[in-house]
Amino acid sequence: MEYNHKIVISDPTLRDGNHAVGHQLSAEHIAAYCKAADAAGVEIVEVGHGNGLGASSLQLGESKTPDRVALEVARENLSKSKLGIHVIPGFATIERDLKPALALGVDVVRVAAHCSEADICERHISFSRSQGVEVWGCLMMSHMISPTLLLEQARKMESYGAEGVVFMDSAGHYLPENVRRRVETLVNGLSIEVGFHAHNNLGLAIANSIAAVESGATLLDGCARGFGAGAGNAQLEVLVAVLERLGYSTGIDLYKILDAADLAEQILMKEIPSIRSISVVSGMAGVFSGFIKPVTRIAKEFDVDPRDVFFELGRRKIVAGQEDIILEVAKELALRATKEGQ
Amino acid sequence: MNCQERTRLDCLRILNGREEALEQLRQSELVVVGGTGFVGTWIAEIAAALNDEYKFGIKLFLMSRSTDQFANRLPHLANRADIHLIKSDVRQLGLFPMDADWVIHAAANPDIRTHASNPLDTASVIVEGTMSVMRTAERLSRLRKLLYLSSGLVCGAQTASTNGMTENAQGAPAPEASFIYPNAKRFAEVLCAAARAQSRIPVLVARPFSFIGPYQPLDTPWAQTTFLSDALRGYPIRVLGDGQVVRSYLYGSDAAYWLLRILTAGESGDVVNVGSPAGVTLQNLAKEIAKNFNPSPNIMFNTAPRSNGRSAQLLPDTTHAQNEYGLSVYTPFDEAIKLTVQWHLMQAG
Repeated sequence: MEYNHKIVISDPTLRDGNHAVGHQLSAEHIAAYCKAADAAGVEIVEVGHGNGLGASSLQLGESKTPDRVALEVARENLSKSKLGIHVIPGFATIERDLKPALALGVDVVRVAAHCSEADICERHISFSRSQGVEVWGCLMMSHMISPTLLLEQARKMESYGAEGVVFMDSAGHYLPENVRRRVETLVNGLSIEVGFHAHNNLGLAIANSIAAVESGATLLDGCARGFGAGAGNAQLEVLVAVLERLGYSTGIDLYKILDAADLAEQILMKEIPSIRSISVVSGMAGVFSGFIKPVTRIAKEFDVDPRDVFFELGRRKIVAGQEDIILEVAKELALRATKEGQ
Repeated sequence: MNCQERTRLDCLRILNGREEALEQLRQSELVVVGGTGFVGTWIAEIAAALNDEYKFGIKLFLMSRSTDQFANRLPHLANRADIHLIKSDVRQLGLFPMDADWVIHAAANPDIRTHASNPLDTASVIVEGTMSVMRTAERLSRLRKLLYLSSGLVCGAQTASTNGMTENAQGAPAPEASFIYPNAKRFAEVLCAAARAQSRIPVLVARPFSFIGPYQPLDTPWAQTTFLSDALRGYPIRVLGDGQVVRSYLYGSDAAYWLLRILTAGESGDVVNVGSPAGVTLQNLAKEIAKNFNPSPNIMFNTAPRSNGRSAQLLPDTTHAQNEYGLSVYTPFDEAIKLTVQWHLMQAG
């Protein structure tokens, strides 16, 4: 039996990072990074399409590496680290996607839903739990609901059999105080563990992750060089270093994770994630970073300021899948500008 | 030995020398509303044993929405001449046996996944169901007593202490959707009291804590069932958290005997805890289950156990059951685990 009090690091470089390269990570990329992360002692390495298992499609972006190949390659190159997958019910079905993935040796299944829709995870969580693998629930875009409502949704995941709940700052919107309140509410209200997944739109991914840990979270997500959607995630090697300075154990070798990050920069990234002006706005507006490309394109088409579009989308609480609203908002802003000009 | 012989032996072991305490059940009609679940099935096993071995002549009616599944799963009970299945929703009890002497109201879905996903439906079955049972009971001319199965959770979270929760504990579950089940059960207890006050229905309340044994579905997300399920599938046993949460477990045949004893010997208005007072950590529960398998499965704790581990517990104080009803735990914890594992292994062939 093993039991200790460390902070578990889950590394979605090869999943969230796929967003940053249009899901074009290759089998060679996956093999090389898995080997490096495994050598560094990363607890969980997440692999797959940016939107998770079964999400490769024309609309969301087709994966260069099919799920089966990605998981096979990752499994071959992970000996100590656990192999994790991100599963959004609907994109991933139990029969077509989840069963084959588990057969390939997945250790950790993270079943994710929009923060107010935990109900859709019941079957996927229960099924994964019944197959003897580790199961976590993930609540995305968690800033969109209050800590109390977040707890209600997390409790659903707990009741379905999740071993922990990760709340995600998908839009990079949080301030440390927002994170603290949510972690405290979850820790006090759940019997299972609490994790946090940061995005760096406001440059607070590390600070927010530390706020989470100091409030009782025991799992953090971090990506090499912050490689992830939009402005990127909490930068893994920095996170490990800061946790070490603060006296938390991660089980990760600092030099080896620095090497893994260097490797990731060299082979995975066309460019290192940075906080562009539009990312700051999407973070402030609380809109998913994946909207940056369509917002920029449509704003240009209607000759409106993409920042205004983002703030209006934020006011309307738009979530992924509602991209059509961008057009509506841009049209309205253009019309308003025309009227004001008359 | 097969599964049926195993459960019959369990019943005879409990009844041996104690059947006289259930003497009032002779030649009577007993209705169990919500009778095809774990509790109803064990009551059916005990009633069948009383009829076969002690010639009690009990006529048992099991009412439930799931009688078809029960008949398929348990033909040895469903096909008996002294057991009658009535398919019915507790909220619409049109086909209720009107000559019932005894009624046990056990209708509720105990699955925490359903409570989380469908809290309004959960409350509807419990609250409207209890109202329906009480309205029906008003018309039962031969009714001697009605036992309502509430929940050990109605007094809210238990503070960490060495003592169990007594029947007169003053706490209450938080008024939140996540606690719809204990809140609805608590309100159903109030409905029982109201029916007693207004219509003189002789109703008493049993508060079940955690049970274990054959007939408990292994796909339910409780510690004992998931640990058994893990071990039976040859997986490591996965313990959530640090394994220090404390629960206690009463074996199925013990529980059924307790309930029948409370039903027949209890006074209207009484409230009685039903469970084992012997606490066990989930870590030790996992170890005890693992001991019964060869090879013994590994026990794994959560990847990220919280550093400030909790000592949450849910234990009944059973002094009242012991002193007033002469009840005690007849199947010790280790024996209960062994029998449960044996039964599941027999089922798996």
